[in-house]
Amino acid sequence: MGLLDSLRSVLGVRTDADATREADPEDLFGMSTAYVTMEADLDFVPVGAAALCFSSVDSTDFAAAVDEVEAILGAGEEETGTAFHRHEDDHGYHWVVLEDDDPEDLVTSVHFAADTFVEEGYGSRLLAAVFGFERSRDGARAYWVYSFRRGAYYPFAPTGRHERDNRLEFKLQSVLDGELGVESDESYWYPLWPDGPNGHPWE
Amino acid sequence: MVLTMFLLFVLYIVFVAILSRYMGLFGVVLVMGLFSLGQFFFSDRLALYSMGARRVDADEYPRLHAMVDRLCQQADLPKPDVAVADTKMPNAFAAGRSQKNSTVCVTEGLLRTLDEAELEGVMAHELAHVKNRDVMVMTVASFLSTLAFMVVRWGWLFGGGRNRQSGGGVVVAILVSLVVWIVSFVLIRALSRYREYAADRGAAAITGRPSALASALLKISGRMKDVPDRDLREQSEMNAFFVIPLRSGVVGRLFSTHPPTEKRVDRLRELEGEMERR
Repeated sequence: MGLLDSLRSVLGVRTDADATREADPEDLFGMSTAYVTMEADLDFVPVGAAALCFSSVDSTDFAAAVDEVEAILGAGEEETGTAFHRHEDDHGYHWVVLEDDDPEDLVTSVHFAADTFVEEGYGSRLLAAVFGFERSRDGARAYWVYSFRRGAYYPFAPTGRHERDNRLEFKLQSVLDGELGVESDESYWYPLWPDGPNGHPWE
Repeated sequence: MVLTMFLLFVLYIVFVAILSRYMGLFGVVLVMGLFSLGQFFFSDRLALYSMGARRVDADEYPRLHAMVDRLCQQADLPKPDVAVADTKMPNAFAAGRSQKNSTVCVTEGLLRTLDEAELEGVMAHELAHVKNRDVMVMTVASFLSTLAFMVVRWGWLFGGGRNRQSGGGVVVAILVSLVVWIVSFVLIRALSRYREYAADRGAAAITGRPSALASALLKISGRMKDVPDRDLREQSEMNAFFVIPLRSGVVGRLFSTHPPTEKRVDRLRELEGEMERR
């Protein structure tokens, strides 16, 4: 932690500063090559969907920003064929879910949506971008989660309702580290449990 | 708040200068230092113990854990321990010496009283305390105040003098300590109130919904009136006050560690307005 952060803490403004820090969506493009590595080295194929999780702000302006994101994704749908829908989960968080068999298009669309939030001045409300994978041999699910707050990726491999396969997660980390900026501090590998059994985090 | 901190700092410097003139206080300072360190390191356990709270895992309270997870993600914090106290009084507090080593605690009463959004506001407020390192700030701020109090209380032991000269010195030291203690007490309380406002602001930044915390505060203070005890958060915030016996009796705004609810709600409303206008 830097001197400035310590000073912010002591003055009691660190929370505001960190919680409202803008996100940098450029890191999302790292997923393009990660999709290739996941399939070639680990047998994990894309599930054909990715999603953006954000927390809302109680204001008219924010609602307008979300409308803007939807409009842009709607336009993109005609161009690339990437379908999208909105979803609100049990915890009151919002998702933009994108579906496309071409991972390249998924990455582009997620970036597009995230970038629009940033441009509208709500980059700080972006929580995570989630990319889904599945191992064809046993159907195991794994996700790469990009945390906008940390500016880093981490693996998430849910097995049951509230359990995760730590060994698989560490394996994903070791293989993809270097290709993606992986969060080195595991205490920040926050789970994003799906609302129902066998669902994706955004379902 | 900067002014308050500065005043405390100046006060302490003067205090140490005067004390060192009159008393060989090295031993006392050492003992107090160890004591404060101990408090600093065990504050979370002390706080949990005094509330009768226990740590709970995600299997027991899945929703609470999931909520804390997401709030921490937004606030860029490592996950703290989550504890629940089996008390009817709606309340919550944060304890622990660092971000990596902290616990947020809620009472059963709070879980029952508040709806999801309100609970989120309260949890975000506690996480903001963790983020702002309030335990450390308050421990440091109250260290010398505690020392001054010890001198007031036990100083006469050093004065059983072999000569008159040192006896007089001890009296001066005790008087100075008394003044320092009273002034620092008021300043520390003021500082604590600032930190509460700061944590409210932090909570609003994390959740994006200042109104949820405002309504939680109103609900809690409404319930609190029916409950005879004082706000228990004061105990956690922090045990720096444990050695100061002036606990109740002297009421009044100067001595309160929390700002009045109406004022906090007013400020949250202003934040809500700012969000709408941007």
